[in-house]
Amino acid sequence: MSTIDVKVSAIEQVTPLVKHFTFVKEDGTVFPAFSGGSHVVISLNIGGRIHRNPYSLMGSPEDTSAYHISVRRQERSRGGSVYMHENVTVGMPFKITYPVNLFSLAKKARKHILIAGGIGITPFMSQIADLERLGADYELHYAFRAPEHGAFAERLKKTCGNKLHCYVDSLGERLDLSVLMGNQPLGTHLYVCGPNPMVVSVFEVARNFGWPENHIHSEQFLAPPIGEPFKIQLARSKKEILVPAEMSMLEAIEAAGVEADFLCRGGACGRCELQILETDGALLHNDHFLTDAEKASGKKIMPCVSRAKCERLLLDI
Amino acid sequence: MERGYWIRSKPVYTSLVWHDKATSHLLVAQGDGGMAVLKIFQLMHPKQPITVLYACNLNSKDYAKTLKKVVPEGLQILNSEEDVLLTLNNILPNMSMGMRLYVAGSEGFIWAASECAKKFGIEDTDIMKELTGTLARSVYCVHCKATTHDITTNIGKCCGCERMLFVRDHFSRRLGAYMGLMVDAESPGILPEIEEIYP
Ligand code: FES
Repeated sequence: MSTIDVKVSAIEQVTPLVKHFTFVKEDGTVFPAFSGGSHVVISLNIGGRIHRNPYSLMGSPEDTSAYHISVRRQERSRGGSVYMHENVTVGMPFKITYPVNLFSLAKKARKHILIAGGIGITPFMSQIADLERLGADYELHYAFRAPEHGAFAERLKKTCGNKLHCYVDSLGERLDLSVLMGNQPLGTHLYVCGPNPMVVSVFEVARNFGWPENHIHSEQFLAPPIGEPFKIQLARSKKEILVPAEMSMLEAIEAAGVEADFLCRGGACGRCELQILETDGALLHNDHFLTDAEKASGKKIMPCVSRAKCERLLLDI
Repeated sequence: MERGYWIRSKPVYTSLVWHDKATSHLLVAQGDGGMAVLKIFQLMHPKQPITVLYACNLNSKDYAKTLKKVVPEGLQILNSEEDVLLTLNNILPNMSMGMRLYVAGSEGFIWAASECAKKFGIEDTDIMKELTGTLARSVYCVHCKATTHDITTNIGKCCGCERMLFVRDHFSRRLGAYMGLMVDAESPGILPEIEEIYP
């Protein structure tokens, strides 16, 4: 996958848990254009092991002189976000992928409702720049834990004015989804990004209010879970690999020098899908992409987030 | 038609069934579509608000009388298909998300209603559609761009350029019509047998 060479040009602590990183290109030229909702995958070399983490671009799509991402520190994760917070300094070089948009605004929508929880605000930052430029009808509903955690709330207030609605959990403020979804004009589209329970309840309420499925959009990239080590065999590359506890199958395949496709690395897009030729164990599907029937059929797996309990898992790669 | 072969652009029609989560129901029907409306009310009388727009047409039975007995509220009997579409256009702005749209009638009517709904952000996959009465096709001529209605045969004459058109299965949702290609381009005047296949 072709990459762009970048370096960190600024780091800002926006909330106690969130840092904002600005990247410019190493060669000083401008970045490729992108649309609101796009993300890039950044490669981090942590102690000799390559981590590739997806982050939403949160700058304005009009500004291609720099790319902006925000990273929330996740203590119980495999270390990518902690590394970003503690080890990354201004001037450090990185490789990032070209932007990909898996969370684009519906072109035909007559109104957009964006619902963000915590760090889930990031993909909306660039979308709002697009919506403002188009003069589109929208509302942004932003829920966070406590006043100090409302990253970008101030900045958003300036851009969105009264289209921004904030809900601070510690002040007992709650977003009433039934009120919100019970009375929206025809042609409204809904977008949600945030913690899983929030995404689930937004979908549930929207469905209960008769919203068609294709008017509800979410972006939920999962972090690859830590699990038990297991063995896989690559049929075309003729290799056997051990997938360690803290590595995803996709990372293990890449570490063995085999090129594999991916876009989101979070079980959402389906790009990394691999065919299973043989297995002697159980598949642990963690993605949001395959249907339940596909998961049960045992013929496909998403190596970016899914694992297995087996000695033999022969993959067509 | 080749067996086991399916063209993606070809629309799929089903029987009307209530969306159980809808917050209101809007049914529009023309001609024999009246029967589809009667059928869905046989299933259930939903508790959410209902609106029904209906007009009969020349080739169909008039279901207005029975509909008046069966539809519990919100029935409007209109004089023509055009009036149904016009009324649809007038009431959609007052509807909100959660309203579900049901359309029953000829293929041309279904897609005219769907074009109208599209202006209000309703996608055609959100609409429940039942084809009733006739399989007659609207055909657009790829040569002169005219659309000829009510073609019931495999080959039909274009109302614009008078070419004899072979009626394909490729369907344009925007035009609500199937593609028609000149049939005797290579051997002028020599036509295959003309048969009724869309009665
Ligand atoms: S890369 Fe997107 S699902 Fe695996």
